[in-house]
Amino acid sequence: MSDLPVLLEMRSITKQFPGVKALADVNLVVRAGEIHAIVGENGAGKSTLMKVLSGVYPYGSYDGQIIYQGAETRFSDIRASENAGIVIIHQELALIPDMSITENIFLGNEPRKRGAIDWKAANRMALDLMARVGLREDPDTLIKDIGVGKQQLVEIAKAFAKDVKLLILDEPTAALNEADSQHLLDLLRGFRSRGITSIMISHKLNEIEAIADQITILRDGRTVETLDVKADGVDEDRIVRGMVGRELSSRFPDHTPKIGEVFFEVRNWNVRHPISAERQVCKNESFTVRRGEIVGFAGLMGAGRTELAMSVFGRSYGVYESGTIIKDGKEIVLKTVADAIAHGLAYVSEDRKALGLNLLDDIKTSTVAAKLSKISRHGVLDEVAEYQAAESYRRDLRTKAPTVDEGVSKLSGGNQQKVVLAKWMFTDPDLLILDEPTRGIDVGAKYEIYGIIQRLADQGKGVVVISSELPELIGLCDRIYTVFEGAITGEIARQDADPETLMKQMTSTKKMQTR
Amino acid sequence: MRKLIGKSMAIGAIAALALTATACGSGRDGDTGGAKGDTKGFAADSLIGVALPSKTSENWVLAGDLFTNGLKEAGFKSDVQYAGASTTVADQQAQITAMVTKGAKVIVIGATDAAQLSTQVAAAHAAGAKVIAYDRLITNTPDLDYYVAFDNFKVGQLQGQALLDGMKAKKPNGPYNIELFSGSPDDNNAGVFFNGAMSVLKPEIDKGNVVVASKQTDVKQTAIQGWKAEGAQARMDQLLTSTYGNKELDGVLSPNDTLARAIITSIKGAGKQIPVVTGQDSEVESVKSIMAGEQYMTINKDTRNLVKQTIAMVKSLQAGNNPEVNDTKSYNNGVKVVDTYLLPPVAVTKANAAEAYANDPKLSPLTK
Amino acid sequence: MSRIKDLQKNLFGGTTSNARQFGMIFTLVAIVVLFQILTDGLTLRSDNLIALFNQNSYILILAIGMLMVIVAGHIDLSVGSIAAFTGILVAKSMAEWSLPWPVAILFGLVIGAIIGAWQGFWVAYVGVPAFIVTLAGMLLFRGGNQFIGNANTISVPEGFRVIGSGFLPEVGPNTGYNNLTLLLGLAACVAVVWREFQARKTRREMDAEPAPMWISVLRMAVMVGVIVFASLRFASGRVGTSFPVSGIILVALVLAYSFYTRNTAGGRHIYAVGGNSRAAELSGVKLKRVNFFVMMNMAVLASLAGMIFVARSAASGPQDGNGWELDAIAAVFIGGAAVAGGIGTISGSIVGGLVMAVLNNGLQLLGVGTDRVQIIKGLVLLLAVALDVYNKKQGRFSVIGSLTRSFRRDTPAPPTAPPDADRETARTAVPS
Repeated sequence: MSDLPVLLEMRSITKQFPGVKALADVNLVVRAGEIHAIVGENGAGKSTLMKVLSGVYPYGSYDGQIIYQGAETRFSDIRASENAGIVIIHQELALIPDMSITENIFLGNEPRKRGAIDWKAANRMALDLMARVGLREDPDTLIKDIGVGKQQLVEIAKAFAKDVKLLILDEPTAALNEADSQHLLDLLRGFRSRGITSIMISHKLNEIEAIADQITILRDGRTVETLDVKADGVDEDRIVRGMVGRELSSRFPDHTPKIGEVFFEVRNWNVRHPISAERQVCKNESFTVRRGEIVGFAGLMGAGRTELAMSVFGRSYGVYESGTIIKDGKEIVLKTVADAIAHGLAYVSEDRKALGLNLLDDIKTSTVAAKLSKISRHGVLDEVAEYQAAESYRRDLRTKAPTVDEGVSKLSGGNQQKVVLAKWMFTDPDLLILDEPTRGIDVGAKYEIYGIIQRLADQGKGVVVISSELPELIGLCDRIYTVFEGAITGEIARQDADPETLMKQMTSTKKMQTR
Repeated sequence: MRKLIGKSMAIGAIAALALTATACGSGRDGDTGGAKGDTKGFAADSLIGVALPSKTSENWVLAGDLFTNGLKEAGFKSDVQYAGASTTVADQQAQITAMVTKGAKVIVIGATDAAQLSTQVAAAHAAGAKVIAYDRLITNTPDLDYYVAFDNFKVGQLQGQALLDGMKAKKPNGPYNIELFSGSPDDNNAGVFFNGAMSVLKPEIDKGNVVVASKQTDVKQTAIQGWKAEGAQARMDQLLTSTYGNKELDGVLSPNDTLARAIITSIKGAGKQIPVVTGQDSEVESVKSIMAGEQYMTINKDTRNLVKQTIAMVKSLQAGNNPEVNDTKSYNNGVKVVDTYLLPPVAVTKANAAEAYANDPKLSPLTK
Repeated sequence: MSRIKDLQKNLFGGTTSNARQFGMIFTLVAIVVLFQILTDGLTLRSDNLIALFNQNSYILILAIGMLMVIVAGHIDLSVGSIAAFTGILVAKSMAEWSLPWPVAILFGLVIGAIIGAWQGFWVAYVGVPAFIVTLAGMLLFRGGNQFIGNANTISVPEGFRVIGSGFLPEVGPNTGYNNLTLLLGLAACVAVVWREFQARKTRREMDAEPAPMWISVLRMAVMVGVIVFASLRFASGRVGTSFPVSGIILVALVLAYSFYTRNTAGGRHIYAVGGNSRAAELSGVKLKRVNFFVMMNMAVLASLAGMIFVARSAASGPQDGNGWELDAIAAVFIGGAAVAGGIGTISGSIVGGLVMAVLNNGLQLLGVGTDRVQIIKGLVLLLAVALDVYNKKQGRFSVIGSLTRSFRRDTPAPPTAPPDADRETARTAVPS
């Protein structure tokens, strides 16, 4: 394999964001006509590397060299890289739903005749391109009328319209069902046989094992290794070891759990996607939470963890289909967020800024926002009570702000997260669901947040933690569920949890239980 | 920057306090509330306010210019205001109030909505200013002093008579098919024009000599909101399609020139023979149209004369005299009969245009 | 450096978002002083002040409702048409069905509530953008006005006119002033002093140090001074005139709605919805109910404004309400509200409305024609908001910034300044 000529070489790429080194000295060698997979945990730097390659981060905003087709290239923007035949297909498809397949394929690249768009030629060429990706549809069909799998094919056809030499696919099968995924993988094999080079970013290790020639593993913004699948006899376990290969340090406060009886249970939970009803985002999921217990939910991005949490929290996501919630032995029906709050549930969103906080507010107003009734009489707010509540949380959680009158938009991520936690602690919940509670927070603040979570559990509350960071789950949780493609695929006790086992459960549908 | 704000704020606060101090000195402006009649004139350089509707017709713009110049020549200070294009009534109310505040001795009002100014007229009256309604009679107020206008009933009569004469000249024998248009329903004068015209036309309609083929004779059907040309054109279009598919239209009663031209445009667009169309106001375009043989007639209500008469009334008020009026019976505004000076209108056709506009620098060249 | 800032904060009790409001109060004072000089003292003469209130109370009442609509992230273009529609119905109800005028006022408010429920239904429960719903309403109710009124002007009885052109009556001994107005002013002074001490008490209860006593005294002195000045002016108008009834209605509404928006859970929810509707929803705020309420409330206030205008004009006419929505919206934005919602105060909007009103009045007193007045008003609106945008670009809190922030969510959070660092630098360190 490795005697193929080198198409692309990225040499010691370093990309710095204010305060964070996203890529440090990354190397990547891609040979012509191969399928090269890039794997790594969330935040390992895969997407950043591809953005450097495709010119989203233009030459000059990073250090290092890109050598493409034997010469150093300096892309100034996406257009430049596309002109060189490098086309990236993002996870979020860049198609316009109300335009036809043809219009989308040639968007920004329309065939012209005497200044006007030559639709006849465009349709003819579109049919040709669609045949190459195995898409049988009327080219006048609107994008919104075809499924996600076919939309993905349109994206690839669009890439072909630009005379692609190097095709980059970011999580191409994340939103696809089994059959569509299979079709896509077959297509990639077909491209390989025709000499087209592909780079594929994926979390689905079984797919990578099945299709890739070379695998480059990134971790914490660095290249760990590049594996030759056939020569090195690579399997899923080998990849996982490369991805997680770091020791768990004592990044967690000491804690002895005081676990009580099961008080919260979700049974056979089924939820459909809010827009495309044929997609089931929660497939018959069941889980339990005990008093004083920290329960983790592990899964890759898009596995359906947030969807599960939000649909339980007053049906704030998706279309409820079936399933029951039992709290303290009684079935409860939570149709709205207000119901959920009234029944002692709290959900701390993964997206603090978009869903957790009103960035126009100050700390004081944010703290009491989810339960104004607690500081008001007959609907009239008691400013003193508001202030005192906010102030006591500020002290308790050691939120770094001069006063509680400070606007939340001025706080750092960690302190914002503390305000969000305070907001939900203020509602006196029995069950807190924390979705990615430490995302975008520096190590020191993480430690404090872990401490707060443990204290909440010690007060006899149930805590659910959703996280993409396996070490965090392993270090913090008493029990971990794994989620894959909208289904719970495993339940692992703390003592049995290690990154390899979890990663395996998170990337396959085979159900496994360790207790 | 911040320092500046602070400093200026301090200055602002001090200024406010200083004003407070000076304010405390001023007592109430006595009990001169109803200062009616006991004023024997006022200073010759007093302020005279003129509030006119929005600048939608050249007549109002001309009147404004004439007032500004005429009052200046007469030695007064003048404040001539037009209402804004969209918020007409509210603007005019505010303008009249501002004139009162500035101490205008006489306020001349060409009302946008003659029924919505009684509060302001009352305030002006209470402040001792005389109010003259110009061209449009302000209704529902006891505080209006004078009304000056052309004899609008006469205008209607002239229009009706000219319509009959014109049709007879074209086609000696009836019955004649005609259509009726009237002005904006919120303009007091619109009804007066219409009634004047109908006083001439009604006997002929009853005799069967003249036929309103669409049967739309009620003022609600004939009215054109806001005197808008597009409204008249649209109505004429509809009449032509609904009624005159295979009938000849002999005459149209139009209350003014703007509407007359819109009506002619509509008829030309339908490819019909232009009938006898009446008008009013002697607008430049209509005079051209009359000379070209399209519009049949217009009314000459020389704005110069009306403004001249108004200023004459202001002058006699200044001297402490009662202004000349020639009608103390006809114009009841709903509360009282208002002393009125009526100017006679003149009907103008192609035949007498040169003579009628001989003194008008703008129009007389058009008639040659 | 921070002394002035503290003074400003202490005097106006403000956080940074109040800085804009402070700027507008300053602008208002400056404009008043400017016109006072230019018009040789006409601007602050009692008859002019009375006229100013009479002429603008209905626009300011609209601004109250509009502020809440805009804070919730919507807009209402139909207020003028609703006002005209209600006006003609109320005028007709008195002229043709001889409804007594107090009943007619109630009738008008009920009409407003029904119209508001209609528009609120489409906005909140069907999800049609308020811009569209109220654009439709603008046409619908304007047409309704003409359909019902036949484009005629219908006059209203004397009793009804009180709400638009009435004044506090003359009672008690002849003091040379209107006694009731003086009493009202006195009550306001007492309220200001009481509130100041209440606020100091609250500060202490919050374990925070109250502002220095001299600041409190200065603040009270300024407020009392303004009130004394205003009430003397209003009380010394021509006999028969005093503080206008429409002004009393306005003041009552301003106080009530300020309390509602600042001090109640319902008011807090409006800001939450406008600031971040998804976050508000996930905090248990009933989004639909809030949206329904603001639209309905606006229509009721529009009806009230319409009736006040009819009462002032002594008649309901086909031109009523033309262009009011724009005046109300301009007042709200000049008063510091954010186009995207979530920011704005009642008092700010009133100040914004007064800036426009004084400008209008002053220019009219100077004899400037409406054409030029409109040009000037347009420029003032543009400059007021542009100044705001400029300030935010300089690193202060920004609406535009908070809007675009969602597109840059992935960039890592900036490091926090140490808590004891100078607050100014902390502020500029945060990208807008």
